[in-house]
Amino acid sequence: MGKAIVVTSGKGGVGKTTSSANIGTALALLEKKVVLMDLDIGLRNLDVVLGLDNRILFDIVDVAEGRARLHQALIKDKRFNEYLYLLPAAQNTDKSALVPEQVKAIVDELKEEFDYVIIDCPAGIEQGFMNAIAGADMAIIVTTPEISAVRDADRVVGLLEQNPLLQQPKLIINRIRRQMMEDGQSMDVDEITRHLSIDLLGIIVDDDAVISTSNHGEPIVLDSKNPAGLGYRNIARRLLGETVPLMTIKQPQKGFWKKVGSWFKKD
Amino acid sequence: MQSVILKGYKDGYEIILKQDFGLDKILVELRELFDNLSAEKKNADDTVISFDIKTENRLFTAEEKQKIEKIISEYHNFKVHKIESEVMTIEDANILKENDNVHLSYRTIRSGQIVDLKGDVLFLGKLHQGGQLRATGNIFVMGEVQGVIHAGFENDTDSIIVGNVSAASQVRIGELVDIIDDEKVTNSQDTVIYVNDLHIIDYGNRDELKSLRPKLFNQAGGY
Repeated sequence: MGKAIVVTSGKGGVGKTTSSANIGTALALLEKKVVLMDLDIGLRNLDVVLGLDNRILFDIVDVAEGRARLHQALIKDKRFNEYLYLLPAAQNTDKSALVPEQVKAIVDELKEEFDYVIIDCPAGIEQGFMNAIAGADMAIIVTTPEISAVRDADRVVGLLEQNPLLQQPKLIINRIRRQMMEDGQSMDVDEITRHLSIDLLGIIVDDDAVISTSNHGEPIVLDSKNPAGLGYRNIARRLLGETVPLMTIKQPQKGFWKKVGSWFKKD
Repeated sequence: MQSVILKGYKDGYEIILKQDFGLDKILVELRELFDNLSAEKKNADDTVISFDIKTENRLFTAEEKQKIEKIISEYHNFKVHKIESEVMTIEDANILKENDNVHLSYRTIRSGQIVDLKGDVLFLGKLHQGGQLRATGNIFVMGEVQGVIHAGFENDTDSIIVGNVSAASQVRIGELVDIIDDEKVTNSQDTVIYVNDLHIIDYGNRDELKSLRPKLFNQAGGY
């Protein structure tokens, strides 16, 4: 029996979809059978991040309404053998097309076959959010070191307290700008974790490559040297129960010659 | 043995309805009693005499009380002042206990959540921005407060808030609202927020508390 994890945030644009794709991929790299479930109905985009957009035939609404069987709608990612699948969202309907019971039924069916069901939640706290948490055993809350994102994450934690899942929610702090955090210009990791008072699952530093790789349909986690990718790999290992120390945010001091070299660089 | 006993005191009359007898017998005897009384009173003046009715360790329902009151109302020289019992229902007792107690709260109130509490509250938890803590009585703050704190909800302006609220966004007492900004409230655990004689939310120090709300101290048994 697998485990269903919903990735949510409240606020839009903090990296729910990127995080879902990367955590799913990282778990698949660790040879766990994973299915990514896009519940952002009407604003489907998890498929493009994974580069699977051209292979969609059926979507989750087709499955819920009985037009297709679950297996017909699942898309296999060939890069990871049999480990990573996607259940795409519908594009030409909206969030009210599903009810929580339907989502729960689909999640329960997927849990029998997969080790992890990662649910990509839409932004907001309306019907779509309620659908997304309906079948989940645990929530991962994604936030960025911005007051607006932290405030919305706080609201979502509150809502999850009212509709408790099997496990306590966990926190990912995304898009950490090392320099800003070091200078004290943005909220720091401890401050955010203490404020939200939930367990920290991991931190992801801001990196240009996250966007560029997404644009090519390749999750950043495939690049084992990238710090953001490493962050997601660590998160996946923590989800499997390993103890992995938190990444240090401090940037390594530049050596003398590098400093001299940087004087002659154009930027 | 009589089921209805009339007693006279310095400040009025009292009718005791003995708890060992059924209501039917009590009603019959009550009627007898009042027949006698009104016969005696015929010669006297027209003043109306009111009675306190005591029901001992028994609670009458509203219907039963009505039956008793109906009998007495037939005699125009007498009326019922109040019907009292020595006991109360567990439900009433719980409400009384709930309202007359300092509640300890150490939960985290998050953005968008509203927590309603009865009576006084000693708040040890965290109140996040966008959250709201409401109490029908006073609020004593020892935790972190960044949201809206509302004492005396909905309209008790005698309530006060004590503690460090310098980081809160608003304080409310009764129906009054005040927006907290930096100049107004010092970052001190000794702040007292109350409604002054002009019906405006005002800020004081804990030292003034005794003169501001002397009742608060009597309630706790001190002076």
